Amino acid sequence: MALLVLGGAYAQDATLKVSAKRQVSVGEQFRVAFEANADGKKFSAPSFEGFSVVGGPFNSTSSSVQIVNGSMTRSVSNTYTYVLRAEKEGNFTIGPASYVVDGNKVESEPFSITVVPGDPNAGASAQGPSQGSQQGSSSTHNTDDPQVSGKDLFLKLIPSKRSAYVGEPVVLTYKLYTRLPVSQLSVSKMPSYAGFWMKEINDNGNIRQSSEVVNGIEYSTAEVKKVVVIPQKSGKLTVEPMGIDCIAQIQTQRQPRHSNDPFDIFFNDPFFNRGYTNVQKTLTSSTVSLDVKALPVDGKPDSFSGAVGNYNFSAAIDRTELSTNEAATFTVTVSGSGNLELLNMPAPVFPPDFEVYDPKLSSSVDANSNGMNGTKKAEYLVIPRRAGNFSIPAVEFSFFNPAKGQYVTLHSAPMELSVAKGTGGDSNEGGVYATTQEGIKYLGSDIRHIMTDSSSLRPVNTHFFASMAYFVVMAALLLLFILALIIVRKRRLYKQDVVLVRNRQATKVAKGRLKNAHGFLKAGDQNHFYEEMSQALWGYISDKLGIERSVLSMDSVKQAMMAKGMDEALSDQFVDTLNTCEFARFAPGDAASKMEDLYNKGLNAIMSVENAEVRI
Amino acid sequence: MKAVILLLMLGMVNGCFAQSETASYHEWMNEGNTAYNDGDFELAVAKYNQVMEAGLESAPLYFNTGNAYYKMKDFPHAILFYEKALKLDPGNEDIRTNLEIANKAVVDKIEQLPQSFIARWWDSLKTLFPVDGWAWVSVIAFALVLLSLFAFLMSRRMGLRKTGFFAGILFIVVLALSLFFAIQNYQDARHKDEAIVMTSTVMVKSSPSVSSVDLFVLHEGAKVRILDANEEWNKIKIANGSVGWIQIKDIAAF
Repeated sequence: MALLVLGGAYAQDATLKVSAKRQVSVGEQFRVAFEANADGKKFSAPSFEGFSVVGGPFNSTSSSVQIVNGSMTRSVSNTYTYVLRAEKEGNFTIGPASYVVDGNKVESEPFSITVVPGDPNAGASAQGPSQGSQQGSSSTHNTDDPQVSGKDLFLKLIPSKRSAYVGEPVVLTYKLYTRLPVSQLSVSKMPSYAGFWMKEINDNGNIRQSSEVVNGIEYSTAEVKKVVVIPQKSGKLTVEPMGIDCIAQIQTQRQPRHSNDPFDIFFNDPFFNRGYTNVQKTLTSSTVSLDVKALPVDGKPDSFSGAVGNYNFSAAIDRTELSTNEAATFTVTVSGSGNLELLNMPAPVFPPDFEVYDPKLSSSVDANSNGMNGTKKAEYLVIPRRAGNFSIPAVEFSFFNPAKGQYVTLHSAPMELSVAKGTGGDSNEGGVYATTQEGIKYLGSDIRHIMTDSSSLRPVNTHFFASMAYFVVMAALLLLFILALIIVRKRRLYKQDVVLVRNRQATKVAKGRLKNAHGFLKAGDQNHFYEEMSQALWGYISDKLGIERSVLSMDSVKQAMMAKGMDEALSDQFVDTLNTCEFARFAPGDAASKMEDLYNKGLNAIMSVENAEVRI
Repeated sequence: MKAVILLLMLGMVNGCFAQSETASYHEWMNEGNTAYNDGDFELAVAKYNQVMEAGLESAPLYFNTGNAYYKMKDFPHAILFYEKALKLDPGNEDIRTNLEIANKAVVDKIEQLPQSFIARWWDSLKTLFPVDGWAWVSVIAFALVLLSLFAFLMSRRMGLRKTGFFAGILFIVVLALSLFFAIQNYQDARHKDEAIVMTSTVMVKSSPSVSSVDLFVLHEGAKVRILDANEEWNKIKIANGSVGWIQIKDIAAF
């Protein structure tokens, strides 16, 4: 039904109206709208001679249905808008645009525009509000609308401090100062935070408003955005500006419009309608640079791992008496303000016989105007596997306090745990008791300890080898050797000489002795005879053969004679004679004949040896 | 008289420098050891340096200095002093262990050229004693050679002469070996033909000039062998066989 109505409602009076400023200045941008009051197609724009097209066509369609006294009127508006810029001064005419409605071509009236040189402000103020702005609907002006000055509306970036340490949280507040009613704020350009860790402060979406006097002018202010940034490196770090689009309402002196519409007259009343215009404005915050100081190196504790702020630290275990294979929970808590989200939790050291699971980390950190507050927790589940008394050493946590400018180290109390032998697990029932054997656990490795021997110090590059002393020792050894050689040889030579002398004199001595013996024989002195005889024989053989007196015996005589190469018969004869002599000496029997016999025997033995030696 | 000579010689070996002077050096070294035990490694290094500046050295001195540097995380110096200590006492296990540990902190991992079994065996034999150890071995071997020779020459008994002969040959071999090793270790100890890179990153050049081509990069702690030198440059060779030139100021020879 509606379609039917539509069919007949507007066909007869389709028009195409042009609306634009009549007077513009050179360089000014303005809009030209072609408004058709019917649906159609094939809109063709005229050539905009003397102007350049900046944007367009933008097509917008609106329709409204009115029912008055049962009769329905439907109005359609179809607008094509161009944004033009005046290029040069003079009078220009925008030619007819055409539009096809129901097969009929509708053309617009030619529209003449005067382009004046110079001041765009003058032109704009003379012109007043644009005709394009329509009652009741909010359409916006271009951003270069001259009527919003930087004094009335601006965006400021306020850091909570200009200089901070690495890791120290800084709150950045983007504050809007305005003397105009402002609406529809939207961020057009997100700021960038190179070199920072950033977290936005979420005040439940509320924008805090207040008023503030700047340079004697009262502004209402709104905190548009608030972030916590934590510098990650030292140096001069710059926060890039943020851009915000907003719509400001500007009061204008509106020229009364002549209209027959009673409502129009009412709304155009200067009292009611002071003429507010919505102007879109892009605001850019200033660029702020922060002076970020590096953390001091002096006095940095070993346990420091990047925590900056002011913290409390505690460690606790839920039970200190337990049995093997029972679990205990060891909790490390860090609370306070600072770069909580970025800090590393201190790691406790558990006895090696404890089974430790990866900690459960939990944190409740709140970013607010003071930075970041909250608590961070690490819960370790530990299970002792062996009975005994154990101690968990104090956990150390250190942080840098930027307010004091120094490092602070906190310790938890060391904890004593007594672990009783639990039931179950690896208990054995009866028989051989055996534990699960383990290899030695190496808890750490280090270099070998220093040597404490200081006695081996000596001047650089002095070696015993190839030193004077070395050669002296070697030479001395050689000398010793040679000396020994000479001495031994000499002694041997001397010994040989002695033997020779004795050999030579042996016969002579023996002769003397025999002569004496013969004397005793004649005298019948038995004792002396045997003694002399014995000495003659022993002395002779000992001298002759070079046998030492100390080793003289029958056997040694026999051996020596054999060694000299004398035959066995001879040696037997001599030994036999010696035997007889010795026997007769200690067992004297019938005298004369025996003595005579022995004398001859001895003489013979000596003679034979003498002869034998000569033969050899 | 011989005894007197021997005593004299022993006195020369042990009492190379006057006793009164050494007392303070020992004290410095002990002070350094105490500082090390107390964890004051800088003081320990200062004390050890005092001893070194007095012109003294010993394997424990260098070893302790290396340890102190290691504890201060100055690995190139630690390696340098371990190497120095090892030159004086090549077979010491503590020094070898610590050098190995310190070498783990070195950036460059240079592939060693493969060594034959015999070369390794020979090397381990060589490092069995330091120079003076081998020197004493050679003295004893020489004495035994002479003794054997004496037995061979002077004995009237056939068995003793035979024993003397073969023992003599054996001891002559021992003597030759010990002399050889002593000479080698002596040369190693006296010639500073190895060096440690001290600069954290250094370019090894193709010729001794700054403008020449960069061949490869060495990092601190790397060990190089010095082949040739002029006033400012050293020709070096690294364990994998690569050769190049490096500025003298970037390395410390030992």
